Amino acid sequence: MAVSGSTLPVRSRSGVDPEALVLEGPHTYRVHTRAYTDPAVFEAEMQRVFARTWVYVGHESEIPRPGDYKTAHVGLQPVIVSRGDGGEIHVLVNRCVHRGSVVCRSPRGTANYFRCPYHGWVYGKDGSLAGIAMREGDGGYSEHFEAPAGLLRLPRVASYRGLIFASFNPEVPSIEQHLGKAARLIDNKVDRSPAGEIVLRSDPYVVTYKGNWKFQAENIVDGYHFTFVHEGFVKLQERYGDATGDFGVHRGRSMAEVRRIRARGVSWGCAQGHGLSAKPVDRIEPLLEGHFGDYYRGLLERHGPERVAWIAGSGAMSIFPNLGIIHQQIRVWRPLAPDLTEVTVYPYELKDAPDEINQGWLRSQERFYGPAGHGMPDDVEIFALNQQGLEASSVDWLILERGLDRERVDEDGDHEGLPSGETPQRAFWRRWKRLLAEG
Amino acid sequence: MAPEEVGVAGLAREEAESFLYREARLIDDLELEEWLRLFTEDGVYWIPIDDRKPVEWNTSLVYDPPLRREERVYHLLHVPFPAQAPRSRTLHLVGNVEVTAGDDGAFRVRSHQVVYEVRLGDFRQVGLGEVRPIVARVEHVLRRVDGQLRIALKKVLLIDREMSQSNLTFII
Repeated sequence: MAVSGSTLPVRSRSGVDPEALVLEGPHTYRVHTRAYTDPAVFEAEMQRVFARTWVYVGHESEIPRPGDYKTAHVGLQPVIVSRGDGGEIHVLVNRCVHRGSVVCRSPRGTANYFRCPYHGWVYGKDGSLAGIAMREGDGGYSEHFEAPAGLLRLPRVASYRGLIFASFNPEVPSIEQHLGKAARLIDNKVDRSPAGEIVLRSDPYVVTYKGNWKFQAENIVDGYHFTFVHEGFVKLQERYGDATGDFGVHRGRSMAEVRRIRARGVSWGCAQGHGLSAKPVDRIEPLLEGHFGDYYRGLLERHGPERVAWIAGSGAMSIFPNLGIIHQQIRVWRPLAPDLTEVTVYPYELKDAPDEINQGWLRSQERFYGPAGHGMPDDVEIFALNQQGLEASSVDWLILERGLDRERVDEDGDHEGLPSGETPQRAFWRRWKRLLAEG
Repeated sequence: MAPEEVGVAGLAREEAESFLYREARLIDDLELEEWLRLFTEDGVYWIPIDDRKPVEWNTSLVYDPPLRREERVYHLLHVPFPAQAPRSRTLHLVGNVEVTAGDDGAFRVRSHQVVYEVRLGDFRQVGLGEVRPIVARVEHVLRRVDGQLRIALKKVLLIDREMSQSNLTFII
């Protein structure tokens, strides 16, 4: 009898009907309350979304050398992201295959092996079972004992521009196919670095909110909420501008100006479920002649004027299902329960960019994000308000129809819409529905 | 003789305690303009994630030089925002006060603080009406300016500083 581990968590199919949860028509796009509140939906998501597609687990700069590791989650599954002797990356389920104890208790570090604290089973950096304590000792294992190969290893691991993704699904399409148009926006973010590389060095912000994970996936590309949820922040901008460290990130010094600026740009909803938005800078010349002229002229030389306008512009991404990129940060949302989510914000640095630029961006993160920032706490407060509101289950639907009549399908098969429309959110739900329907 | 018993030359423990109690009262009573005046002209209010790393290369939960501190107080007092609508009510408990002298003529005052926080409003709703303890070791660097004690640095070391946090949009 073979006892090798299954790569897909197996559970009975729940009674979730995605057709009844997402209502689509020519002028209609509505999502049912239960999609955010029902424990059966949550369980189905863990099986059919998080166990089926690519999930972001970390960045290569967090584990630069062999033996470096960090912990992460693929849905509810705790994993170790480990750098092997040849520099290759392994994603291993953090559970001893003997009697189930976790083998790694630290969020990051460097180790030659992982040793289970319960009975001393030892696993290599690649998860292979390197030793069973007292294997042949008194009362030991017989010659018929079929030792497991090691920690359950996710069959697919890939990285794109340093972003590491893993999947429980051996048949998952390539990471490039999964990212689609999002890869171009990732390129724009990463190519802000003169070396074409980002580095995660600063400590992350970690915030937990009492709301469903999909509120964060939707909101990071929601162009509609800013002047309402962050009305207070816009008032701070009127008064303080860049003086307290915004570093020119949030443009506009009045509500009218902010609305005008935010009405520019494009948003996309990708077939893979990603929501994207981007806005090029109007004119590159002021940057070339400005304080960081050398830096911007270097970017211009490497990438040409057309791309530089996008590279120097702003962009936000909700990469299905758990990764966000916005500002100069990687954001990961982790579902804990239908009404509980953890969000981690990893500020990153641009390799070889002037210190003043990297430090300026960090101060800007500090001002807006984190549990004491002037922006992010308001977003997560709204997510909790949403979840609270949905207890009123007598109302069936949430409405996601903004800009529905103003979007078109582009040459990649993605929907393109206006910046404050709900094109990105609809793309999320389309993919979500498809995955849940696959059963 | 242990410094915490008598304070150091120039700052008795009792005076340091009175100062910390007054600061706590101003914060809990939302007398934040008055709280701002407790700082020196270049004073810093700092809640690090890792105080061993240089502040310019690491994000802090709060790193407020004077203008940022003023902005935070302005935000709290004059600009409604969802994370403080409704507001937090706080209560500081200050203990284990110790005074040591700095070699730069400043006084270092270390205390343990438990800040209880509750959001007001409809206590039946999520996130409101739950009393949360925020537990920290606090280090004050105090100087005398025109005879008055002033805060050159207030460093708040939350015991769970590198872990997941809830809403911290009030003064600790």
